[in-house]
Amino acid sequence: MYAMTSSKNLNVTLIFLFVFFISILNADFSISTLDPIAEIKNFFGGILEIDISKTPTYFDAILNTIAIAIVAIFISSILGFFFALYFKYALLRVSLAFTRAIHELFWALLFLQIFGLNTLTALLAIILPYSATLGKVYAEILEEHDVFPKELESKKASRISLFLFTKLPDAMPHLISYTLYRFECALKSTAILGFVGLTTLGYYLQGSFMQGFYGEVWLILIIFYLIIATIKFWFTKISAPFLLLASFLYLDDFSGFNMDNLIRFITIDVVPSPIRNELGTLKIYQWFENIVMNELLPGIFNTLVLTQIALIVTAVITLLSFPLVSKKFVSPSLRFGGNILLVILRSTPEYILAYLFLQIFGPSMFPAVVALALHNGAIIGHIMGHQSNELVLRADVTKRRMELYGFEVLPRIYGSFLAFLFYRWEVIMRESAILGILGIHTLGFFIDSAIADIRLDKVVILLLFTALLNILVDFISQKVRNYLRLSTTVKSECCSL
Amino acid sequence: MSLILNNETLSYKDKTVLKDISLSIQKGEKVALLGKSGSGKSTLLKRLYELNASQISYIPQELGLVNTLSVFHNIYISQLDKYSTFYNIRNLIKPSPNQIDIISPLLDELYMSDLIFTKCGELSGGQKQRTAIARAILQNKKILLADEPISALDEFVTKKVLNSIDNTFDTIVCALHNVDVALEYYDRVIGIKDGQIVLDKACDQITPEDTQKLYHVCDDQF
Repeated sequence: MYAMTSSKNLNVTLIFLFVFFISILNADFSISTLDPIAEIKNFFGGILEIDISKTPTYFDAILNTIAIAIVAIFISSILGFFFALYFKYALLRVSLAFTRAIHELFWALLFLQIFGLNTLTALLAIILPYSATLGKVYAEILEEHDVFPKELESKKASRISLFLFTKLPDAMPHLISYTLYRFECALKSTAILGFVGLTTLGYYLQGSFMQGFYGEVWLILIIFYLIIATIKFWFTKISAPFLLLASFLYLDDFSGFNMDNLIRFITIDVVPSPIRNELGTLKIYQWFENIVMNELLPGIFNTLVLTQIALIVTAVITLLSFPLVSKKFVSPSLRFGGNILLVILRSTPEYILAYLFLQIFGPSMFPAVVALALHNGAIIGHIMGHQSNELVLRADVTKRRMELYGFEVLPRIYGSFLAFLFYRWEVIMRESAILGILGIHTLGFFIDSAIADIRLDKVVILLLFTALLNILVDFISQKVRNYLRLSTTVKSECCSL
Repeated sequence: MSLILNNETLSYKDKTVLKDISLSIQKGEKVALLGKSGSGKSTLLKRLYELNASQISYIPQELGLVNTLSVFHNIYISQLDKYSTFYNIRNLIKPSPNQIDIISPLLDELYMSDLIFTKCGELSGGQKQRTAIARAILQNKKILLADEPISALDEFVTKKVLNSIDNTFDTIVCALHNVDVALEYYDRVIGIKDGQIVLDKACDQITPEDTQKLYHVCDDQF
């Protein structure tokens, strides 16, 4: 297995494996529920208790989820487009990096304090990170499709005309397909916002989970899969404008917005309490030291440990799962099953998976790792399976599957496997932080606790460092991809990452 | 208006391709540039273009077409600076009858009238080359610098296209690798090999020996 990879690939693989083993030694993998097997039985037993007649109960939540996602992606894509046009300015790039480094659930928790439980909070929580992500990716797409020869650009023609005729047409299909992919993500994110109390599908999902009504859980999940799987039928060129208008009209719960709250938040709440109460430099130092020692350092450490373990387990799941959807390895019927399994794992947000596994195994890193690795492994495995199908092998290639895997297929796609994995690293890290809300002691745990204590000054500090950590990981990931000479630009396949 | 190079050394991607080149092309001359691929024809054309960009129509070897736009739009691109941004956008969304009337005759002449609203990405290599030529013609400039613009055309269309170009532009420098076409349609040939100009003569003074030399210059086998 090792001889086949280039030495650089091998170096990187070994370094990350080493970090993985260090992390394992520091991770809490306990299973605290009394009878996880019974929990699993209960959960899957729920399939038999699905009561379709309950569907109308969720109509409001379904419409709310869809409407918020549509309005949010619409506003985000417009903002993102303008960000992309001015992406060359470093200040904008840094601001966008910060904005998208903070998970939409963190944004939601923050805006809840300012605007209350309403639609505005939900919209802002999606729009902020999404417009920042779209801005960056749009800029990359426009740059990648900037192929019109400079010699042919008339100096006298207006820049708008040149942009519209020579750059936008080539990039447009890619911009649209990326936006549609992001719309799917926005639907998932909006559903998840229900877990912090906004009335989207996640709200009901959590409710049913907590009461152990697994039949309802399954019904909501199936509704959710159906919405996602049928996007291309109900969100089309023709229907989009009407859906947009309807969504704007449907969303009306903007109650609780209060300008005073916003002003108080900016001028008082976020100011560190020792400064606010004028307690002097020593107190300020102690206040900050307390946060660093008791929350920031443990939070960062646990977040990194979870991220690195989940990254390697994701890699393992990917390497095991991609043959399941590859023509090179399995029969059509098995491939059908493999595809369904991977689609389900891909479509279920890691937050929901983690929530489920936490119910089953109790709060520790174990359920979090399983959730992150299954979800991300399925995403990369799907793409890798696709790539292995495209490979053209000699006619006299070995018929033995293990040899085929180790000598012919994996060596050819190992580079892109690493590229996708590192592309996903930053996402895994952001999710690791957020899973703290579920009780694992990553950064999200401390942020959630600080919010519960209404210590918003602390929240802001913790969020700031969460974002910095994420930007750092993104930076290292780019360096690693450069070192391995893996393409860093957006390819059509990266769109499904 | 003439194009003059004096003892210039030209590089492509930090690699010297042409050394101490001197060249003078006068107004009204129709010049064929011969040489095998990689000999430096494109680098030379690009340099000549820089000498007087505002007066020159330039057809790069990669053509510079926008594949997702129609033939009409790709030709219209050459007059973006002639009209207001508003009018440009209007034509991007829906071509105006006036503009169609301007562009259609050009396409008739190049046997492409039925392809006016076909996307460039769907065209064959030869059709793409003719689109780029139509774009250059519509630009209405005096000088044309073209980098192998007819390599994918058949003999019949080649003749038609070369005549159209000939009638439109005062001065032409056209990179080719077909010696017979060069001698038949141009007034002067320049042969490039190993970073040097090995032959520069008026076509009516070319000897059979010169012709052999040119064949040698263009043959990728040597």
